[in-house]
Parts: sequence; C-alpha cells; structure tokens
Amino acid sequence: MRRRRFPWLSYLVVVTGAVLTVVPFLDMVMTSFKGPGEAGTLPYRFLPEAFDLSNYRAALHQLNLPVLFRNSVVATAVITGSVLLTSSLAGYALAKLRFRGRDFVFRFVLSTMMFPPFLFFVPRFLILAHWPLAGGNDLLGRGGSGLTASILALAVPFLVNGFGIFLMRQFMVSIPDEVLEAARVDGAGEFAVWWRIVMPQTAPVLVTLGLLTFVDAWNEYIWALLVSTADPDVMTLPVGIQLLQDHVDPARTTPVVMAGLVLSVLPVLVLFLLLQKYYVRGVMLSGLK
Amino acid sequence: MVNTLAPEAAEGAVRGRPSAGPAVGGRTRARRRQAVVAWLFLAPALLFFAVFLILPLGFALLLSMSRWTGFALGDIQPVGPANYTGLFASGSTFLVPVLTNTLLFALGSVALALAGSVVVATCIDHLHLQGLWRTLYFLPIVTTVVAVGNVWKYMYEPGGLVNGVLNALGAGSVAFLEDPDTALPSLVVVQAWASVGTAILVLTAGLKSIPGSYYEAAALDGAGPVTVFRRITLPLLRPSLMLVCVTQFLTGLQSFGLIIVMTRGGPGGATDVAALEMYRQAFAHGDWGAASAAAFVLFAVVLAVTLAQVWLFGRKGEDA
Amino acid sequence: MTPVPGTGGPSRRLVCALPPALLAAGCAAPHRGTGRPGDPIVLTLLSHYASGALREALQGPVDEWNATHDRVKVRTLAVEFTDLLTTFMVRQAAGRGADILHPYCLWNGQLVRAGVLRPAPPGHAEEIRRGYSAAAVGSASVDGRVYGYPTEVQTYALYYNRRLLREAGVGGPPRTWRELEETAYRTSRRDRYGNTLVQGFGLSTYDDATTVGQTLALLNAAGGTFVSADGRSTAIDSPAGRAVFELEHRLVVGGAGAPGVNVYQAFPSGRVAMVIGAGWWTDSLKALMGRAYGDVGVAPVPVPRPGGRRATLSTGFMLGVNTAGRHPREAWEFLRWLNTEKVAAGPAGKGAGVTRMSRLQVSVGSLTGRADDMRTLLGEGGDPNRHAFLDALAYAVPEPNGPGAQAAKSLLRKNVEALWTGQSSVDEALRSTRRQVDREVSRAW
Repeated sequence: MRRRRFPWLSYLVVVTGAVLTVVPFLDMVMTSFKGPGEAGTLPYRFLPEAFDLSNYRAALHQLNLPVLFRNSVVATAVITGSVLLTSSLAGYALAKLRFRGRDFVFRFVLSTMMFPPFLFFVPRFLILAHWPLAGGNDLLGRGGSGLTASILALAVPFLVNGFGIFLMRQFMVSIPDEVLEAARVDGAGEFAVWWRIVMPQTAPVLVTLGLLTFVDAWNEYIWALLVSTADPDVMTLPVGIQLLQDHVDPARTTPVVMAGLVLSVLPVLVLFLLLQKYYVRGVMLSGLK
Repeated sequence: MVNTLAPEAAEGAVRGRPSAGPAVGGRTRARRRQAVVAWLFLAPALLFFAVFLILPLGFALLLSMSRWTGFALGDIQPVGPANYTGLFASGSTFLVPVLTNTLLFALGSVALALAGSVVVATCIDHLHLQGLWRTLYFLPIVTTVVAVGNVWKYMYEPGGLVNGVLNALGAGSVAFLEDPDTALPSLVVVQAWASVGTAILVLTAGLKSIPGSYYEAAALDGAGPVTVFRRITLPLLRPSLMLVCVTQFLTGLQSFGLIIVMTRGGPGGATDVAALEMYRQAFAHGDWGAASAAAFVLFAVVLAVTLAQVWLFGRKGEDA
Repeated sequence: MTPVPGTGGPSRRLVCALPPALLAAGCAAPHRGTGRPGDPIVLTLLSHYASGALREALQGPVDEWNATHDRVKVRTLAVEFTDLLTTFMVRQAAGRGADILHPYCLWNGQLVRAGVLRPAPPGHAEEIRRGYSAAAVGSASVDGRVYGYPTEVQTYALYYNRRLLREAGVGGPPRTWRELEETAYRTSRRDRYGNTLVQGFGLSTYDDATTVGQTLALLNAAGGTFVSADGRSTAIDSPAGRAVFELEHRLVVGGAGAPGVNVYQAFPSGRVAMVIGAGWWTDSLKALMGRAYGDVGVAPVPVPRPGGRRATLSTGFMLGVNTAGRHPREAWEFLRWLNTEKVAAGPAGKGAGVTRMSRLQVSVGSLTGRADDMRTLLGEGGDPNRHAFLDALAYAVPEPNGPGAQAAKSLLRKNVEALWTGQSSVDEALRSTRRQVDREVSRAW
C-alpha cells in the first residue's frame, strides 16, 4: 500500500539530510590533511591539495596522546565497569529478592533520574575537594586536595546510574522465578544465582548498557574539564584537544585540531559501527540522549 | 511456582505465626537471608546516592542560601534568599538575556530537530536500507561535543564550508558566530543537527507501531498523503513526539558544553545560557552561593517546562 | 586552609591501594616540597606565559634562579590567559593552588576577597611603593594594601597611520576630541556599495581591549572614572561618561567606525586610520607590517578640550603569593630577586642596572612600572612609538580592581557593544550600564 510507487521525494529528503549530517565529518577529515595556510583561506576548497600526514604527527607530538588516551581509557573503563556491576546487582535485588522497603527503594532510584547533572557540578567538586583523609586532607576535610587530584575524580560522579539500575531491573523481572528457585534448591547462594544465571541471561542488556555508558563517558567534557583544570595530569582526550588549539602554529591550528579530533572520535565510532544494534536499542529504551 | 505472594503479604503471614513449625522457620531464615543479600547488593548504589546525590543536593541548597566567596568551609555564612532575589534584582542579567537565551536555545533546537526528524522519519519509513540511513543520522550522537563544536566552528568561519557554499551561490559571507544577531541561531542549528538522530530513531519506532490497517482504510476512503499524515500519523505518533520533545528540551535547557567550545557565551553575552552562567559564577568568580541559586532556578525551569509539556500532550490526547 | 602535613602520607597510600593501573596518574606526589630535611623546597608559579616568546622570557630568569639556588627551586606552570582566572579558582578550591600567582590586576579584589592572595610583608610593600609608578602600585593594591610586585604594565595611547592621515590632508595626530572626529571623518573611505574601505577610528567589538579598553581610555582622558572612589557604584553616567558614549555613537553613525571588523587585522593592513590600543601591540605590529610599520605613529589619547589634562587607562599584572602556600617567606624572597634586584641591562653585562623583570618585559615588547628601568632600556634609539606608552605611565589611571571588577567589565563591554551596533541609544546604554554595574559592585560581600 505505502510502497506502490518509487518514493522519489522520500529519497531526495533522506539523502539530502544524510549528506548534511555526514558532510561536517568529511570536512573534518579533509581539513585534517590540509597543509599550512590551506585551511580557512578564500575561496573555500573541500579537498586538500595533498594528503599531508604531518598534522597527525603534530597532533600526536603536541597532545601527549599516550597520557590523554590512558586517562580517557581508565576513566571510561572504571565508569563502565562500575555502572554494569552496580546496576546489575541493584537491579537483581529490586527485581528478584524480597525485602521490606523494596518499592520505596525502587521509587527512590527512579527519582534520582530526575535531577539534571548541572545541579551537582559545584557541590560534588567541593565534596571531593574536602574528602576527609584523602590527598592530604585532615579528618575534617581541610588542608589538602581531597580526591580531586586523582584519576578517580574523573569517574566518581558517573559510577552509579539510576537509569542503569532501572534498565537491569526491568529485564530481570522477566526471568522466570522457577529457574532461580531451582538453583537455590541446588544449594546456590544468592551471589551464585546472580553470577551464574542472571548475568548470562541479561548479557545483551549488559552490552547495551555498557555501550551507552562507554560512549557517554568517553565523550564527557564538562566535568573532565573541571577536574583537569585542578590537575592537568588527569586530562582526558576531549579536554586535551580543546586546549590544543592554543599551542599550535597559528598557520595550521585548524588542521592539527581536526587531526586530533579524528583520532579521538575514531575508537568510539568503530565501536558504534560494530555494535550499533545494541546501542540503538539502548537509546530507544532510554529515550534519554 | 514457589511464591507468588507480594512480599508484604508473605512477611505478614510469617509474622502472624511466630511459633510455626520448622519448615516455616527455615523459610523465615531464607527470607531474612534474602533481605540481607538484597541490601548488600543495593549497598554500593545506595551508598553512592547518599554521598554523591543527597549530600550534594543538601550542600547546594545550603550554598544557595549562603554567602561564600572563599574556600574555607568555615567562612560559609547563611544569608537567606539573598542569592535568589539577587538573580532577579534590577540590573541583573540573569533573567534577560541569560534565561531568555536558554529558553530560545532549547526551543529553537527542539523545534528544528523535531521538524527535521518528523520529515526524515516519515520518509525513511518508505525506503529500503533503513538501517543504513539511521546509522548515518546517528553519527553526531556518538561524537564528543568537542568534535562537534570545533568542526562547526570552523565551518562557520569566513573561509569555512558554510560561507564557501554561500559564496559559491553568489551570496556574501556571514560572520555567524561573531555577530550577536546570528550567534545564537547558529548554535541552535548545531544543537539540532547533533540531536536529530535520536529523534529519528524514536519516531521511526513510533511509526512502526502504527497498524498498517489504518492506512489501508484511509486509502479506501481516498485520503491524500497530507490528510493521512495529519489525521492518522501525527495523532498516533503523539507518545513518541512527547518523548522526543521532553528529552530534547531537557538536553537543550542544560546544555552548555557546545557553547563553551564554540563561543564561551559571546559575543557580548549573546549566547550566554543559565548553566554556563552558573559554571562561570562558581569557577571563575568564586561566588558559590550565586552559582547554586542559579542552578536551582534553572532546575525549577526544567521541571516547569517538562510538566507543561506532559500536561499539554496529555490534554491534546483527550481532545482527539 | 591550614596545611596539615601529617595526614598526607597514610591517606595517599589508602587511595593507592586500588589497582595501580587505575590510579597511576592520580597518585603522583603533589608538586610541592616534601618537607623532608635536605630536599629542596619547590615553589610553583602559575602564569599565562604559556607559549612562544613569553614562555621563554619567563623561563630564562627562573632557570637562572634554579641554577644558583640549592634550597629553593621554582617550577613554572602556565595556562592561556582566557583560562587563567578559572584555573586560579578551581585549583584553589581543589587545594592545589600554586605558591606564586601571576594574576591580571583586575582580579585582585576578587582574589583578596576569596582569601587567595597574601598581603605583601611590610619590607616588600615598602620596596614596591618606592620602586613603581603610582598606577602600577594602585593596580597591585586592594583597599590601599599592597599584594604583590607589579610586572607587565600596559598603558593605552592612540595608534595612527601616517600615510592615511597624510592622504586625507591631515598634518598630524589629533590632540582634542574635535580634531579626532574631524580626522576620523576625513580619513574614512567607502566604496560605492557602502563597504568600508578605511575606518577613520577603529571601534571594533573584537575583544575586551578594543571595546572596554578604548572606552575607558577615553573616559579617563575626559577626567571620568568607571567606578566611584569607594568602589561601590559606577560613575559611568557622569558628564564625562556621557561625552564618551556620545562621541563613540557619533563616530559609528557618521560612518567612521565599523564595529564588526577585527581591528587587529584591519589596522596592520592599512584599513584603519586611528585606534586606541595598548603598548604590547607595537611589537606584533612591527612583525606583521614589516617596512609599512614606518607609517605607524603613536600619540597620547586626545582630550576633550584644548589644553586639557592628559590621562589614559593602564592595566597590568602582578606576582603575588598564595595564602595556601607553605613557604611564603621563600616565595617573597624569589619575587624580590626577580623584581627588584638590579642586573646589567645589556646582554653582555653592560649598561646600568635594571631588574630581571624589566629586562624580561621589554624583551617581549611590554613595560614594567619601573620608570627608571624603562628609561634605561628604551633610552638609546629603539622604537620611538614605545616612548608614548612609557610617558603615559606618569599620568595613567589604573583599571578599577574591586571584587566584582571582572563581572563589571563584562557588563560594560556588553553595553558598549550594544551601543556601537545600534541596539541601544546613548541614554539606554548609560542607564543599563549603570543599573547592571551598580548591582554588581554594590553587592554586600
């Protein structure tokens, strides 16, 4: 019915839109190859004169890429691991274990999703700075740098995610109780039930949640900017690239920055293309991006 | 099936018979152990929420009603609502242009993204290779705001792509980000560009859930495509539209990463938004109280806008 | 924020007990002296001398200090100027403020209010008052108390293009506002489509200096000030302030200024006849313009009436010591060595004595507030244009530096831009500037 004629108009619209979406990325890649003085001159040219790799060398040289990469990887890994673990544990408790106050806890977890992150920038940073007995602080949180001077500070605000708990709980509810009870009768403790039965059954959801968390953590900018300002040693890739523009020969700032951006976008793009089925499902489930 | 009772009922039953037989006693023990395990499993999450959600909220509330421009915790002085009234006092720029910019930015990007995604999603629904198209539209979402912001900033420059196209078409160059009149609309376009992929995804799912029989019936009645779209597609898409609207508004109202990267609020405050103002009050001017008050006011705006949308979509739903 | 050295050890180990790969970066010891006997004290110095010649110019004397001092070492940290204030505040909040700070003097009020800056000890304060021009000492002081050694000082003067003036039949730079206006209109040129070819007077909304700097220089020249003497209200709607806004408004409406143009590019390429700018610009103009720099002249900021008293704006930086630092005595000692100890002016140990800071600043095209050093360093030959900025040290008015000064400056800039781009009239701009700035500076801190 709806596909009787060849949909010329629809193709036109969708292709135009797709071109508009992709062209900025192509422009980024093309610019990253442009030579000194070639970017930003009039008239504009899309293609570089020659595919010049020196911008990538300059970006690698200027960026101290190994350190930025390490910081980004560590922060992302800690966040993703922690979110998966805590969401799965809490989700299991809320879905399959019986205890007083379960509904209340569930409602509380739902309500945590209501608070936007900007409410927490200032107080979380100050709480980390005044963390007792860390980073040279005394018992009252005075005198030192608290947790702000550690790579952990990058990850702390994102370690637990209300949406992740909600997501895992919704999926675990549908696991039949008989399976769990059978395992319990066989003498498995709750931890073993969770680890050996529930975790494998929810693997696809875990991949989805992990991917969502990974992409968000890898791309996070504002909090990382704050923490890196306090301690440049824990700078992440996005922050480093944003700072890069102040330190490059002005004649080729744009190409070098673009080269850095290509390098930073690449890992997450590859991961997305490989696992997009899971990612897309996650976005549908959360509707929150 | 071992137990289909609600936990409260089951516990009530156990409590009702304290001197029950060994079987029930074993079950009570199991029940108790399960409760202990449950709290153990919940402990990391709840501990986190206590320390990094409840505590900061309380701290922020305290700060928003205090004067504190230093760094020693002992210097915090409670002053009541002065920080809030200060935001709206005569001469304050918080209401105009900061809050108006915030609303315009959110409204503009939602309108643009919504219009674009409705059109594209409807069109995609007729095509082959739907997955490929969606993947392409999705690229901006998995990219960091630093990349999006810098690429567009460069494209908006006099020697960049956008002006290159304008010049090729015979039009003059536009100083998109330097001109106070065009800076905010230019950012709106980028925000919409970056968020249209999610909207398309949600709307496509909504379209798929509309039963084909509705369209067949409409075709039998001889309805044209525009009528079909207005009478069938749009009304049945309302839940998806609401989801898109609400989430995109939330993002738009609190987004300032893009603005930090592209304009830092300039030129002359033309792209200053509330979240950025909060960030600047705190981390540039060291006025923690004013910053926290600004954050709570923005939170109130976010809540109000969200509730208004839910109410609006709900009411229209009843009318239909 | 009293440092408690004893707790540093065990807690750091506690954090490090987590997997090492996870925390490899985070556990690096803070860049401070360890406090163990025998280890040198390491002082950190945070400035915006982050790249190029500025970075090297500062690193020179720091290396010299480190080579000649065993007990106290200095390590430089740098961020770009746009990030400097945020970096001070965030690092201070995180308990990682540098021992020695190099703030823009505009921020001194805020930094003092926040308890970041330590007042200069009496001996140092005395030396600072004696050695520097009044404007420099004023910038480095808050409520009459000195907080640091003034370093880079910028004064504002009128840059003009001799060739453009000559072509328009104007003999020399304007001395009064009437002459300024006449020269501006006569030198402006447009093509038949109305595009600006030459701006008579560069009114550019490009940055703080081209908007606020220029406006305040004119305001000071008219005998006005931005903020009242007690720092609690603005004096922008005085007759002098109104006169400045009206002058700028007339210039824009009369076609002599084009606010959308970046004057930093337009002036060197001969498309601006006159513009008020700061002294540091001479060096970059020289580099950009090559031989055409011979056309560039510098004159004092014109005054409203013939024979009026000269005045202009001065801005600057200073080196101060962090209250949270553990070694203030050593920090002040280093600053004294850098800023007041006299060394030979010439590279080969020749010439009269100047301070290391004066030598450093002059080498990158700036000035310090030490008039004697400046006369020694700029005395023989060199660029005559720089003398106009040096002369201005004597009569320049420091930028106000109360607690809300940075915010007030941003507010003034927004309103000046609105005036120039025709979004508001002179009356509206004055009224809204007064309302907004009054609210900012009068807040009960």
